[in-house]
Amino acid sequence: MPPRVTMLGSALRWRGYEHDDAAPPSMSTGAVSPQQPSVPLRYRLNVDSMSAAQLTAFRAAMTSAMGISDERGYNYQAGIHGLPLPISCDIAHGHSIFLPWHRAYLYFFELTLRDQQPDVALPWWDWSTDPAIPVAYDEQRVNGAANPLYSAKVDPVALEQGARGKDPRAPMTLREPDSDGAPPLPSNSDIEEVLALGSFEDFTHQLENLHNNVHMWVGGNKGHMGDIQFAAFDPIFWAHHAMIDRVWRLWQLRHPQAGVPATLLNEALPPFKMTVAQTIESATLGYEYAAQATGGTGTGG
Amino acid sequence: MQIFVSPVIENPAGGEQGDFSRADLIFYGVDHSGPSFEARVFLNNPDAKAGTPRDDASRYAGSFTVFGHAGCAGDVGHCDVPMGPRDPFDRRPPHALTPQTKTVIVTDALRKISDPEVTITVVPVRPGAEGAEVVDALRFERFSLLTYG
Repeated sequence: MPPRVTMLGSALRWRGYEHDDAAPPSMSTGAVSPQQPSVPLRYRLNVDSMSAAQLTAFRAAMTSAMGISDERGYNYQAGIHGLPLPISCDIAHGHSIFLPWHRAYLYFFELTLRDQQPDVALPWWDWSTDPAIPVAYDEQRVNGAANPLYSAKVDPVALEQGARGKDPRAPMTLREPDSDGAPPLPSNSDIEEVLALGSFEDFTHQLENLHNNVHMWVGGNKGHMGDIQFAAFDPIFWAHHAMIDRVWRLWQLRHPQAGVPATLLNEALPPFKMTVAQTIESATLGYEYAAQATGGTGTGG
Repeated sequence: MQIFVSPVIENPAGGEQGDFSRADLIFYGVDHSGPSFEARVFLNNPDAKAGTPRDDASRYAGSFTVFGHAGCAGDVGHCDVPMGPRDPFDRRPPHALTPQTKTVIVTDALRKISDPEVTITVVPVRPGAEGAEVVDALRFERFSLLTYG
């Protein structure tokens, strides 16, 4: 029987694919493009659907990266977004390259984790159907050890610069989810509304606003997620942005003729050595978001 | 500015309910150098406050959220946005704090306004463990209310 692969389609939810191995199954990925090596893609999963082995591997990768103080480490990657200066995401927020810039950011961060655990992929937090901090990110300790998804140590240089700018923050990331006055988390209908928008400019603008709401919902007043300068130090930042990236992927499937305006394609995405055009197809970056995935062995040829 | 209440402006829908497919309220030149906040927009409700419900009865129209810089971490001048014309050979990206444009889709809310005139109220709210508060962080250059046939 040939492999059967069901990709995203219109489904917004991961629908119960279960397996015990840390690695995703091998499967056909369609025609091979010049940019896409003929190897299986990795699948980013809903964090609530990860197996115990996958979650353990992901946590191990985060812990290892958090223990590295040079550019291979968590703090360096988190600091690209905000402090320490320069605040590189400035070229992205409020601009049309918001989605491509963050896709590149996730890509390089995922590679950083994969240097520690070869098979890990970033999970996504579907706040539209799970309007709470996911359990995997909300447990302070796991098996007697600190949970690297609960909190992270903030780069001391970032803290010093933030304090100089009258934005002092705690040395370990914290959250104030669902504080009084926080904007609501985006609902399924909110996502459906942005997915229905036919223009990329319109879509990215409205999706970025929903993204901003999630930052404020998690961070509240004193939490790191609510502040551009410190948001990426919170481990949940990456699951939130994987969800945003996934919604973009869903939009791409619904509007295959729309796309990013041609005038943007050659834009660089500093500090990443990548252009907007190089972020368009997630498959060329080696990953997909699966609603369902099954597979099997081939002919062995 | 804390709460913004616009002068009375003409309702571009002319009070003819449903005679448009979409309505956008666009804020230009939005400052994002300060704290993060949610700007809640109400139509024909000049008394809206932080505690005003987001519902039809309150004429809530939607919101935009500013993901703010929360101050300047650089040296003197670091956060000053250059003014005036730019050298055509200057290929650097725009200054980090170049003001932004925010669009709130207000189609449903405007359809419920039958008056020929409308006022826009914007309430900037910051959440907190001790309760929501209106923050003095809302700054923008102008706004437009547009409808599309």
